[in-house]
Amino acid sequence: QTKTNSSSESSVLLTKPRLQELVREVDPNEQLDEEVEDCLLQIADEFVENVINGSCLIAKHRIQNGSNRDNKVEVKDVQLFLERNWNLWIPGFGTEELRP
Amino acid sequence: GTQIRSCKDEVLLNLPLLQQRIRQQMARHGLDEPSSDVAVLISHAAQERLKNIIEKLAVIAEHRIDILKI
Repeated sequence: QTKTNSSSESSVLLTKPRLQELVREVDPNEQLDEEVEDCLLQIADEFVENVINGSCLIAKHRIQNGSNRDNKVEVKDVQLFLERNWNLWIPGFGTEELRP
Repeated sequence: GTQIRSCKDEVLLNLPLLQQRIRQQMARHGLDEPSSDVAVLISHAAQERLKNIIEKLAVIAEHRIDILKI
């Protein structure tokens, strides 16, 4: 069961092998019960739905109140939602203020 | 100079499927398809969220096992 996620597993958002890789990265000695793995996969699924939905609401609000006629979610909408609702900041998307 | 650190190389989630879900949900909101950066960002966020949980689980489990030893 050490095969990494293959492209054939296209029906799930996150595979168990991929999750186990992440666990090893956090703590090489940690092992998860199968039930816990299922639970984490579900949490990931719900999290993604939540973030997509929240980002849509922020984008719609921004589009309504601005002059920008581009009718789509931008990276900064997602970042705002993540920061406000989940206290998460993901760097590396070119939206940071660069300080000299 | 300024160093920009990024973590775009590897994504945790199944990106084609994630993009499909994003498209569907956004269409429901009447929005157009966003750039692929959005999917990558959401994948990284999910990774952080899971990491945080896994870290906490490790501490909790260790605590439980310690109690059992006494």
